[in-house]
Amino acid sequence: MPNSLQQTLALLSKDAVLEWRTKERLTPTVFFVLLMLLVFNFAFEIGGAALIEMGPGVLWATYVFSSLFGLNQTFSIERENNSLDAVLLATATPTPLYLSKMLGNLLFLLIVQIVSLIFFAVFFNLTLGSQLLYLVPILLMGSAGLSAIGTLFAAMSYNSRLREFMMPLLLLPVIVPLVISCVEGTKSVFEQTGLGELNYLGNEWWPHLQLLSVYTIVFTTLSIMLFEYVVEES
Amino acid sequence: MFSQILSVCVFSIMALAIWAVFQYAPTEREMGIVQRIFYFHVPAAMTAFGAFFVVFFSSIVYLKNKQDRWDCLALGAAELGVLFSTINLLTGPLWAKPIWGVYWRWEPRLTTMLITFAMYVAYLIIRAYAVSNIEHVKRVASAFGIVAFVNVPLVYFSVDLWAPEQQLHPQRGVPIAAEMKHTLYLCYLAFGLLFVYLLRLRTELEESLRHMAKLRIHHHE
Repeated sequence: MPNSLQQTLALLSKDAVLEWRTKERLTPTVFFVLLMLLVFNFAFEIGGAALIEMGPGVLWATYVFSSLFGLNQTFSIERENNSLDAVLLATATPTPLYLSKMLGNLLFLLIVQIVSLIFFAVFFNLTLGSQLLYLVPILLMGSAGLSAIGTLFAAMSYNSRLREFMMPLLLLPVIVPLVISCVEGTKSVFEQTGLGELNYLGNEWWPHLQLLSVYTIVFTTLSIMLFEYVVEES
Repeated sequence: MFSQILSVCVFSIMALAIWAVFQYAPTEREMGIVQRIFYFHVPAAMTAFGAFFVVFFSSIVYLKNKQDRWDCLALGAAELGVLFSTINLLTGPLWAKPIWGVYWRWEPRLTTMLITFAMYVAYLIIRAYAVSNIEHVKRVASAFGIVAFVNVPLVYFSVDLWAPEQQLHPQRGVPIAAEMKHTLYLCYLAFGLLFVYLLRLRTELEESLRHMAKLRIHHHE
């Protein structure tokens, strides 16, 4: 019997291969990101000082809504083929399944974030130099937290009649701390743009990253613990 | 017998509390009569958080031992928590309008209460609309009840970090007149007992409903 790490990686590569062949999650999401930025552009007229004031909010609103899209699809292959029980049988505990889905979502969100950051930078004339170094931990931690809790909630709404509705209703209030720290952290990085060299932004940036890390660690642990009850056969 | 004694206790203490709020407690010097809403506002918030703790605790117990009564208790407590937080969220703006000049401010305690309220409404939505498999719904709701409660302090810290200058609530530990303190304690007791009383009724009702549903299935078979 392969150990749980091997099981996790096997399940992850299965999902990755399926996604690579169909691209049914990535393509629509990337297009969705583009459309969201288009709408936000007309709604807010982001530019100049407004870029720093509203840019981080627009960026994270785009991430959150497009990730809702993708997170909802976490178990779609299992649902379509009615194969969740079979996948669960393949491993001794449900934890490898959770971890593989969570890592899959993390990869998915990171790709979406990189793409939307590029779109955002091009559309709104954002020039990021070495400030990018400070943005990376926020993006990483933010998507880790989002995929940790999103994977659990996707499993929760697996059987629900109102699946598409359920996800945002459950997820949005719970990720408020995450969104606040991501937006504030990103804002502190954006404030450094145009100043040329990188200033040390410890005081504005670090507390938000700390809270974000606490959030991510707490909910990853909790989701691993709760996942088995959520997918358990009745 | 116990429930009769409890109901007599609840309603006499509530009557006494209302008398204390309007007669015994003095009128606050600066805020005037509107300050009396505080005797409903604060105990409602405390009771709501107490109720959410009951949801958290009974959800853990339910996931461990799968006894239906713990699930009924969690459901009843969540409904009452939403009820008491609604009272809190309605009385708050009534007080805030004359004192702060606006109904609402994105202030840490207000925001935390609103988000907590939203999470437990989501909890009730899970209960109401996910009918595919009753046992599965119970486990999903329990898991969400645990996640929501753990999130409350995180919401508070993040909102506080986001807008620390917004802290406008009267601070804790402000010295108040002894009569005010007694009235407040009496109101805590009244709200607490009312919660226990309603929780008992709601849990029993839910247990009977489920028992009846089982009998009906049994009859059809």
